[in-house]
Order: sequence, then C-alpha cells, then structure tokens
Amino acid sequence: MATAEAAPPPKSSGENPILYVAKPLATAARQFMKSLIRPSTIVYPFERLEDPAFRDKVAVAAGKPIGVGHVWDNYRGVHALNIATCISCNLCAFSCPDLCIDMVTVPGGDPKHPKKCPQIDYGKCSYCGFCSDACPEGCLTMTTKYELATPKRSEMVYSPQKMNEIFERKLPMNPIRVERPSNEDAILLDVPLCIGCNACARDCPTQCITMLDIPKPTPKPGEKLPKRIWKEPVINDSDCVRCGTCISVCPKECLFWGTHT
Amino acid sequence: MSNVTLFDVANGLATLLLTGLGSILPQPLHGWLINPNLIFALAATLFGAILLGASMINTIMLIWFERKMLGRFMDRRGAMHVGYAGLLQNFADGLKLFRKHTLRPREADSLGFYAGPTAYMVTSVLIFGILPISTGWSSGVLPLSLLLALAIFSFAPLFIFISAWSSNNKYSLLGGMRSAAQMIAYEVPILLAVVAVILVSGSFDLTTIVNLQQNYWFWGPLFLALLVFVVGMLAEMERIPFDLPEAEAELVEGWNTEYGGMLFAFFMLADYVRALVGSILVVLLFLGGWTLPSYVPSALTSFPLAGIFWFMLKTYIVFGVFVWIRASLPRVRTDQLLKVGWMRMIPLSLLSVVLAAMLVLVRCLPVFGCVPGLGG
Repeated sequence: MATAEAAPPPKSSGENPILYVAKPLATAARQFMKSLIRPSTIVYPFERLEDPAFRDKVAVAAGKPIGVGHVWDNYRGVHALNIATCISCNLCAFSCPDLCIDMVTVPGGDPKHPKKCPQIDYGKCSYCGFCSDACPEGCLTMTTKYELATPKRSEMVYSPQKMNEIFERKLPMNPIRVERPSNEDAILLDVPLCIGCNACARDCPTQCITMLDIPKPTPKPGEKLPKRIWKEPVINDSDCVRCGTCISVCPKECLFWGTHT
Repeated sequence: MSNVTLFDVANGLATLLLTGLGSILPQPLHGWLINPNLIFALAATLFGAILLGASMINTIMLIWFERKMLGRFMDRRGAMHVGYAGLLQNFADGLKLFRKHTLRPREADSLGFYAGPTAYMVTSVLIFGILPISTGWSSGVLPLSLLLALAIFSFAPLFIFISAWSSNNKYSLLGGMRSAAQMIAYEVPILLAVVAVILVSGSFDLTTIVNLQQNYWFWGPLFLALLVFVVGMLAEMERIPFDLPEAEAELVEGWNTEYGGMLFAFFMLADYVRALVGSILVVLLFLGGWTLPSYVPSALTSFPLAGIFWFMLKTYIVFGVFVWIRASLPRVRTDQLLKVGWMRMIPLSLLSVVLAAMLVLVRCLPVFGCVPGLGG
C-alpha cells in the first residue's frame, strides 16, 4: 500500500544479485574465517598492548614485527613527581595554561619556607606537558599511565604524594624538554628600577638571593630622592636553578634574562 | 530410543510422582491422586512444560549463537563474561528485563497494548507443540501439521499490528503497517514453495515429509523452492535485510517502540522463537529433518538422542546462514522489498511448483536419482 503513491523507483542496478548479494556474502565469509579462531579485537581490561609479553604474542600471531603498537614512551599521561628533588619553585603552576596545578604544602620543609609541591586536577588538565617542560629539576615528568576513570570527581585531583607513588612505580618517564634557559643565562638586575622590596629573595625556592645594603646617596640641593628601601638583590649563580620565580614576582619588572658580559 | 516418545516420558514421570505421593497419604487423598484422569492431566502439563522449557532454552541459546557469530563477522568476540564464553549472558539480560517496570503511554489502548505481545508470544511458542523435533517428539498424529504450523506462523502480523496500533505512536503504527504489508507479501511465495514440497512428498504431515527424505533430501531437486522459502522466511522473521518494520534509522524501534521491560522481552524472545521455527521448518522441509542418509555409518545415528542431536545441528547451521546474511547485507527499501516479493519471488515460486510437478512426472533426475515413494 505504501508503494501505490510512491514515485517509480529510479532505474538502477540495485537488484543485481552478483554485486549486491553475492559479493557482500563472500566478504563477510572471508572475515568470518579470518577471525574464527582469534578475533583481532583486544579484550582491553584483561589484555593490554602495553604489557610487553602480550604485545609480542599478538605481534607474533599476526606475523608483524615485535614492539609495534604499544603506548609509546613519550606518551603524555599522568604525571610522576619526585617529592625529594622538588624545590617548590612554582614554575609548573605558573606555566599551566589550564590553571589546574595548585601548590600544596607537603611535610619536609622548614617553618619559614614550607615545602610546596604541585597538586594536579586531572579534570582540568589538558596534558600539554608545559609543567614538565618548565620544571628545572626534572622532578615533574609525564608517564605512560592513562587510566584515570574514577567514580568520583574529587578523585581526579592527584596530590603530590599520589604522584610520588606513581614516580616510585618507575613507569617510562617523559621528561619533556622543549627549550630551557641554559646555565649561561643569568638573571640580571636593572638597578635604577629596583625598589629593594625583598619579593625576589622571599620567593626564591633555593634562597640564593640575598639583599645587600647599598649606600644611601646624599641628595643634591633641590633633588628629591626616590622612595625606596636601600637594598638590592644579589644572586648566587652557583645555587640558582634558573627557575625565574624572581622575575615573575618582581613588582617593578626590573629583573630580566641576560648573560654576564 | 526408537519407540519411547516424549509423552511416554511425561506420562511415566506423572505416574511415578502421583503414585509415590499417593502411597504415603491417607485413604481419601490416595484415591483421588491415583485417578487416571489426574495422571493424564499432569502428564499433559509436564509434556507442555518440557516442550516449553526446551524451546525457550533453545531460543536463548540461539541468541547467544547469533551474538557470538555476529561478533566473529565483525572481528570481535561477542558476549564472553557471564558464564563460560558468555553462555549465561542472555539469561542475565532476561533477568534484567524481568525486573524492570513496564510503562504504558497514557493515551495507549490498554487491552491491545498488553494483549498484543502476549498473543504474539503465545502463538509463536504454540508452534513448538506441532513441530516434530525427532521421532517421538510429536504430540500426536496430525495429518495436516505443516498447514497448521504455517497457519499459526502467519498469525503474527495481526498481533504486531494490534500492539502497534494500540501504542498510539506514529513510529509504532508505521512499523506495524510495514510489518503487515511485508508479511502478507511474503506469505504467498512461502506457501507456494511449500506446495512444491507437498507435491513431491504427497503429504501434509511433517513426519511423513521427513521420512521420505531419508536418502533424498529435497534441497537438491527443489533448490528453487528452498531459495524462495529462505528469502520468504527472512522476511517473515523480520531479520536483516528485511527488518523494515523495526528499521532503527527511520522508526526508532518500529512496532515495539513504546514497549519496555518484560513486554519488550516478549517481543524480542518471540522474534527469536520465530527465527528458530523458521530454521526448523527449513530443516524439516528441505534438509531431511532428523534423518541421515542410510550410507553413513550406523554409529552416527544409533547413540542416544541422535535424532535430536542431528536435527539441532542442522537447525543451528541453517540459523548460521541467516546470521551470515544478516552480517553481510544492508536493509532494503520498502519498494524494493515489495517489488522483490511480488515480482520476483512469486514467479520463482510458481516456477518451482511447475518443476516439482515435472519431477513427480519424471520420477528420476540424472544427478539426484530416483524419488522414493513419489506421489500421493
């Protein structure tokens, strides 16, 4: 009854029995024979391609070279953090484009300079790897761990201790190094701009900045002295890790990257 | 096992149960319990229960079989976690559906909405009472069992249409209309193909038809009829490529759009019951039923329940062909479906009837040999 009003169907080879029936049947039968013993689908939670033994077994069964098709070592997965070498420099948090890194206090610092390590919210993280790139000590690296599913959103926030456990599992690490200030680079001071505010020395993670007194000049008649503290930072180059925290916190932007002449 | 029928088994069980129970009870109860009428009633009930259980378990195993086979066709594994190789997966699914609440749309017609799936299920299961699975499985001598089976089989579009119409949903109604049109279009070639079998065998009785095929399976000489019957059965079972009534891409879920929970499970189960019945009919009519040719070693046919074993093996192979077709072919359009039905299948089935008549006339074919006991 539906065809009574319908327009006449277009002339086509749609009923060619060889093309439209026999060929698909043959294709399906070939596929069936191929996967009769062992379908190539991997039963994921029980079989993993990153498990080297299983990966090699699959490769041998398929007649392919061993070592292909796993999670590559430069995969950007969950971070591993070595708390022992972290210097609390804040660079990871500064570099994070998603603002998903919080610096939280971990035990082990002195009261004046509490030790702070990154805590990462994987609900926000975009796995760009900037934090690993920025880390001056190489203690925050990305691993090949990729299974993050949890029943609770709060469990997506990984504390430093949790990331330290991942570090201790010795997964393949991916210390992303794109471009870093080399040791020739140094932090220079634009002396006339400095107000001696102590911000750089206060926030330096390695405490390599000391504020030295400078002589207060005697004002000439009619000249007004700038309103500042008569101190200026001196950086101990051998202790500096080139993290750039001081540059970030300087209120007058008088610290900058340069080379000693 | 030659002369023991299923009813004998049920009767023996009932007698044992009632006499055993009656012997430990005091007099008035004892007299009531060993009443032969009561024993016969219990035996009939047990017979029905055994048939129902066997057909349901087979149907659910059929779903498992289809899932595993479709998985292989798609290079995956199918159900594999519940039970060994996922054998219990469908029981778990059924349990889940059984626990679900059944919702009825506010504007739906209550009687049709509930009676439709029930009647569909009941008529689908009813056919198992007629089909002889093996010698001794038939429920009695029915001279017209083939006609009766096909008649019950063709009740389905009525109940599908009733439940689709009372769902008060446009998709359900469209699916129901498609289903009715499709089933009516393919009923004719199926019956004509069956006429070819009836001509050659000269009987409407399925047991006689099977016994005639002992050395002479009908699929060879009646290949055209087999082709028409299989294509028609695909349409009757509403399986891909003829699953237009429940085309997911166009009609949400077709005529069972509004059904959930156990009512949906009824539809689903009845669909597979019909698939099982279709496969069984193909085996009975064309593939020799439970018999094997007499030249195979007798060890293959003499072990206990050999008839049922060979019959179910053939049935599952035929259903495997249906699954193979499902995995290969896309869904056809409505006009293509009806065109193939009316303009290709009916002439082909008429041709197969003519060929069957010629076969009866000639009695011997060069390749297939002579037909034993031809003609009515």
